Amino acid sequence: MSDITYLPGKEPHENEHRLIFKNVDRKGWDPKIRTYLAEGGYEMAMKALKMKPQEVIDEVKASGLRGRGGAGFPTGIKWGFIPPNNTKPVYLICNCDESEPGTFKDRYIVHQDPHQLIEGMVISAYAVGAHVAYIYIREEFPEAAIILEKAIADAKKNGFLGKDIQGSGFDLEIYVHRGAAAYICGEETGLIESLEGKRPYPRIKPPYFPAAIGLYMAPTIVNNVESLCHVVHILRMGGEEYIKLGTPRNSGTRIVCVSGDVKNPGYFEIEVGKVTFQELLYDMCGGPKDGRTLKAVIPGGSSSKILRCNETFQIGRGDDAEEMTFWQLPLDFDTLAAAGSMAGSGGVIVMDDTRRMSWILNNITHFYAHESCGQCTPCREGSTWMKKVSDRIEDGKATPSDVQVLEDIAYQIDGKTVCAFGEASAWPVEAMIDKFRDELVGETSDDNDTRSAERIAQEQFLSSVPQ
Amino acid sequence: MSSKIEAPRPRSIDRSKLSYVSPSAPKDREVPKPRLIDRSDVEYIRPVLTVLEKNVHSPVTPGVVHFPQFKITPTLEKAANKRIAQYPDDQRRSAVLPLLHEVQHRHGFISPESIEWVAEKLGIAAIKVVEVVTFYPGFRQKAPGKLHFRVCRTLSCAMGGSYELMGKLCELTGIDRGSADTHKDPISVSPCGSYSVEYAECLASCGTAPVCLVNDDFHEGVTPEKAESLITQYES
Ligand SMILES: Cc1cc2nc3c(=O)[nH]c(=O)nc-3n(C[C@H](O)[C@H](O)[C@H](O)COP(=O)(O)O)c2cc1C
Ligand code: SF4
Ligand code: FES
Repeated sequence: MSDITYLPGKEPHENEHRLIFKNVDRKGWDPKIRTYLAEGGYEMAMKALKMKPQEVIDEVKASGLRGRGGAGFPTGIKWGFIPPNNTKPVYLICNCDESEPGTFKDRYIVHQDPHQLIEGMVISAYAVGAHVAYIYIREEFPEAAIILEKAIADAKKNGFLGKDIQGSGFDLEIYVHRGAAAYICGEETGLIESLEGKRPYPRIKPPYFPAAIGLYMAPTIVNNVESLCHVVHILRMGGEEYIKLGTPRNSGTRIVCVSGDVKNPGYFEIEVGKVTFQELLYDMCGGPKDGRTLKAVIPGGSSSKILRCNETFQIGRGDDAEEMTFWQLPLDFDTLAAAGSMAGSGGVIVMDDTRRMSWILNNITHFYAHESCGQCTPCREGSTWMKKVSDRIEDGKATPSDVQVLEDIAYQIDGKTVCAFGEASAWPVEAMIDKFRDELVGETSDDNDTRSAERIAQEQFLSSVPQ
Repeated sequence: MSSKIEAPRPRSIDRSKLSYVSPSAPKDREVPKPRLIDRSDVEYIRPVLTVLEKNVHSPVTPGVVHFPQFKITPTLEKAANKRIAQYPDDQRRSAVLPLLHEVQHRHGFISPESIEWVAEKLGIAAIKVVEVVTFYPGFRQKAPGKLHFRVCRTLSCAMGGSYELMGKLCELTGIDRGSADTHKDPISVSPCGSYSVEYAECLASCGTAPVCLVNDDFHEGVTPEKAESLITQYES
């Protein structure tokens, strides 16, 4: 038996604006279809089925919804990329491979509110014209896979899935497909390869943009769990109303997941851009643990660039440029991009002054070395080299030039790989060296010998041979 | 040392006087008999030696006693057919992962015969199944313990003490991970076969770090101090 402590009755913080997480931790809530229907569940799916697919797409476009999986690409625009003269079947895939370190939002949706996801998928599938949809769920969510399959069966029994849904003439089947513990299956083309029963080697873009050539070489829309859930609320509120949430170009709400060195880590659904780091980390998470100060924050999953807590940033261009401290930064896509990082998947990892950056860096490089799929050389070799050099720094056996070597490797990966994993592995290293170079160099010494044991033996032998 | 080294001159062989030896062995010479190994005391786990068995690494661990030997049963067939039906008729290969999950769930690990069964079921070459099994960390080719602990080692959990948790689990279960090459073989099984440990990457619950999976059960906030109660919880 799992001992997951859902917190029924835990009140959302006053800064929160809950749409997607409305039912998470709610007293008296359970994932059964009865509970969901009692609160107007599947009404939006019924409403969508009475609209034209293009009207649904237009509504989502009007909402300005940006994908919550990591890249932040506008969802409505992505749906519009399906070739108009397409004759092949269209597929919808829900990306539930939540494996970006620091992110833990999809877990709660699929465990506690699976019908919200299914309703979002019905609407989305109808909009893009898909009759088969897959939920690609990571292997480490075995219970969630069972919950989802049960929810799908229940939805089918109630006529919200299957043939001729509620007399609309629209057919949809949803299947659950379990992954097998590989991070790269989160990358959409890697996911598609995995769903085809192969190794998840990502495909090169162009030409393999999934919306044109995806699963079984047919047009495919891949969306994150949270993105698909937002569609339900967009239909309920209307795109015009939804875009008023959050800030311009960064509309809606999003779930940020805070972990690491704060008193109360957890998940918070906020209006995008309406909450600053000060409010998030102090008011909502209770600030640092007693007697400590916060040192650095990774703002959007471990692939995003780390920020120092004592940094100031120039946000905006020209006359609009504004100086902001780290604490004043609002959590939205554009500000974090302007600050040199990204909002990514919403996973905020906090580190306080007791943390050594070489140790943090070492942990991160181990993750990427383990998870590189190995298809392209800069990433496969580079991620392993970065791991080895950071091992050396962490072991106190490095020389100051090793920090430079590490930086060079990172810049050699960045931009030279098949998929964005290359950047995902290089950015954290680049940023860490950029922001904490002195600390890392401080862990090295000129006296250290970085030669391998073989090299030392070889040199000793050569010097012993008479000339 | 003299700087001039004399290169050996190639020896030319005169083959004109060589007569070829006929391939069939002469009658008078004794042909060595194949040595028979007495296997009567070896407990067989897989009696059929398949092609894959010779080529696919599937070492025997003490955990193997806890899992039934791979057998094609009607329930397995039924579950497999249900999975295959999820995909278009001409895309049966998509069911590789689901079928392997069905096998691993029932038999603890992926054995060579099960790979051949999956390949046959889907009408693809066995190598296409092998390449999947060897890529994904979620599939294992050797039996884990009866209780398989997967401890998250990624940043938030590591900050919360997951490395210490792993140390504690190994200490309590008698697993020696120090000598293991965890890169090649991430799973370590205890000598008694009841426990095994493995590091996992971020299990998507970083807010309740450190976390771990025990078989299919998820546990949050497992600080090293809770390692003992985590194990005893399953012993009752
Ligand atoms: C290395 C890598 C890992 C990714 N992992 C995930 C993931 O675990 N979950 C996810 O939803 N998206 C992940 N993505 C993003 C997907 O490729 C894709 O952009 C996303 O699923 C699109 O959905 P959205 O438009 O709703 O955001 C990953 C991308 C990369 C490059
Ligand atoms: S960048 Fe890395 S993960 Fe992506 S395809 Fe290349 S080797 Fe694989
Ligand atoms: S780091 Fe352990 S669950 Fe994310």
